[in-house]
Amino acid sequence: MAIKTEPKVCVGVITGAHGVRGQVRVKSFTTEPADIAAYGPLSDADGKQEFSLELTGVAKGVLLARIQGVSDRDAAEALRGVELFVERNAFPETDEEEFYHADLVGLDAFLADGSRYGAVRALHDFGAGDVIEITVVAGGTVVLPFTQAVVPEIDIEAGHITIAPPTEIEVRDDGGTDE
Amino acid sequence: MSRSVWKGPFVDRYLLKKAETSRASGRSDVIKIWSRRSTILPQFVGLTFGVYNGHKFLPVLVTEDMIGHKFGEFSPTRTYYGHTADKRSRRG
Repeated sequence: MAIKTEPKVCVGVITGAHGVRGQVRVKSFTTEPADIAAYGPLSDADGKQEFSLELTGVAKGVLLARIQGVSDRDAAEALRGVELFVERNAFPETDEEEFYHADLVGLDAFLADGSRYGAVRALHDFGAGDVIEITVVAGGTVVLPFTQAVVPEIDIEAGHITIAPPTEIEVRDDGGTDE
Repeated sequence: MSRSVWKGPFVDRYLLKKAETSRASGRSDVIKIWSRRSTILPQFVGLTFGVYNGHKFLPVLVTEDMIGHKFGEFSPTRTYYGHTADKRSRRG
């Protein structure tokens, strides 16, 4: 019987050593860089190694940190390139209509009639409302508004969302329109 | 040098006309436009435009804060995916 493991999310990567006392440089992927240490102990991709991070400062766009059990430069250098993961359930609960990108990316997208539309590629916010990018089955990607009307159903546990693509009207330069 | 005030904001006229008819119809359609240069006017608030970025049409839901900006500002031509980690989005 397969053992169900908790999904993990990559929150940073060790980019190298700093100084001679075992400090490391860490590139954080969290919204607030310092939050990388706020979600409890971190692990590598396999989950074999666990890291307890203590942030000590910032330098040139990376965080400086001390890792428990790493006390010299060689040991710190050996960790270069190690990606740091946390279990998904370490993140705080969201509001009712709020979703972590990590939960949505990769979900299958279906139309209301049950036919497969594609898969979620990414979510963006370019300053004009959140949008969802879908890799469509027919090829290419489309970007749709991330609204209740366009994405009426999100079932993270079942691994799919339902899409109701909005009607599009083309407005051409010559003043003519196509519907 | 900035645009002279006496000229008023630039907007492609056909866009204004289309926005009016779309508003009158009361439907929540996406109006696909290529006119990234047009200024966002108060008449556009509440409408969703699909603004072309050279590859695809990005949905732009116009709000009051966007008045006076150009459509192109909200439809970047380069997309950086990067890592998402703990990023969240709110369904509108």
